[in-house]
Amino acid sequence: MRYKMKTFEELKSQWDNQPELETPKEGAKSIIKKVNSIKNKQQITNIILGFTALILIVFFFYISAYNNILVTSALFLMVGSLLARMVIEYISVKRLKQIKVTIVSSEFKKSLANYYKKRVRTHYIFTPIIVIFYIVGFIILMPFFEDALSKGFYTYIQVSGIAVLLFFIFFIRKQILKELHALKELNK
Amino acid sequence: MKNLESKFDEIYKTNYPKVIRLCLGYVNGDSMLAKELAQDVFIKVWENLHTFRKESSLSTWIYRITVNTCLSSFKKGKMGYMTNELINLENKIDLEEEQENNELQISQLYCCINKLNKDNKSIILLELEGLPQKEIAEVMGFTHEVIRVRIHRIKNELTKCVTK
Repeated sequence: MRYKMKTFEELKSQWDNQPELETPKEGAKSIIKKVNSIKNKQQITNIILGFTALILIVFFFYISAYNNILVTSALFLMVGSLLARMVIEYISVKRLKQIKVTIVSSEFKKSLANYYKKRVRTHYIFTPIIVIFYIVGFIILMPFFEDALSKGFYTYIQVSGIAVLLFFIFFIRKQILKELHALKELNK
Repeated sequence: MKNLESKFDEIYKTNYPKVIRLCLGYVNGDSMLAKELAQDVFIKVWENLHTFRKESSLSTWIYRITVNTCLSSFKKGKMGYMTNELINLENKIDLEEEQENNELQISQLYCCINKLNKDNKSIILLELEGLPQKEIAEVMGFTHEVIRVRIHRIKNELTKCVTK
């Protein structure tokens, strides 16, 4: 015969008597270590994007692109879109960090919902523009890459350019879905 | 710095059991996810420890960080796992002793808590942890009266759900 709980006091007693999970012995120390490693990881994405932008800038001077208005515009579009993405992410992370986790929960929830609303708006307006600028810049540059670079390096540029773009789109899509889900959950 | 580290170590040891229990309630009893959440909570405790001004008790402050961290994590826990677990336990229930019965009831409780909205989930988990209603109001940012009424309503909802 299945036992049925009738009162909240019985639920509370069940709750109190549930088996306890052990407290990790060196837990506090590992938390402090983890905080330091998180700080390092946060920089990695921006370093990758920054490095890509740097390669494009070096390439700009290497092929004396400033003599050609089309190449200059194309590189400007590509570097600009990467930098714009970095700036948006930087501002966004800063905004999220400004929401204090120590405030009362109802306020925290409101601030978090506002933050995600703004993020979703950003994704729908700025992200497609950034991706399109990057693609347009890349397509304009292709014939110049072909003329200025060896066949091997040209192929490398083609493959890595498309790979960066695909990674970019995959990563952003994942991010958007996650944030839409977050917003839905908060408004429940 | 060393002083802060030893203070943190003490806070960690004292509060880990209640933090992990609260986290378990948010993730359907999934202990792996609860451990991850508890880790996030203590990361935030460490990062904000220097800002703690004793305007509220340390326990309220930690509960607030725990609730807010769980609110912002969106980790769900394995619903399917819990449901299967529930079915298996139900099949065995006549044969097994008190321990399984207890596990079944805790699983049912987790499932029912998970059906509540975010605010109600937080409120009832704090109530189950035995926090006074005045302190729950301080964690949540609602008036004592609102908390009192809500708790009454959620208790009814929860007992009905578990008894089903």
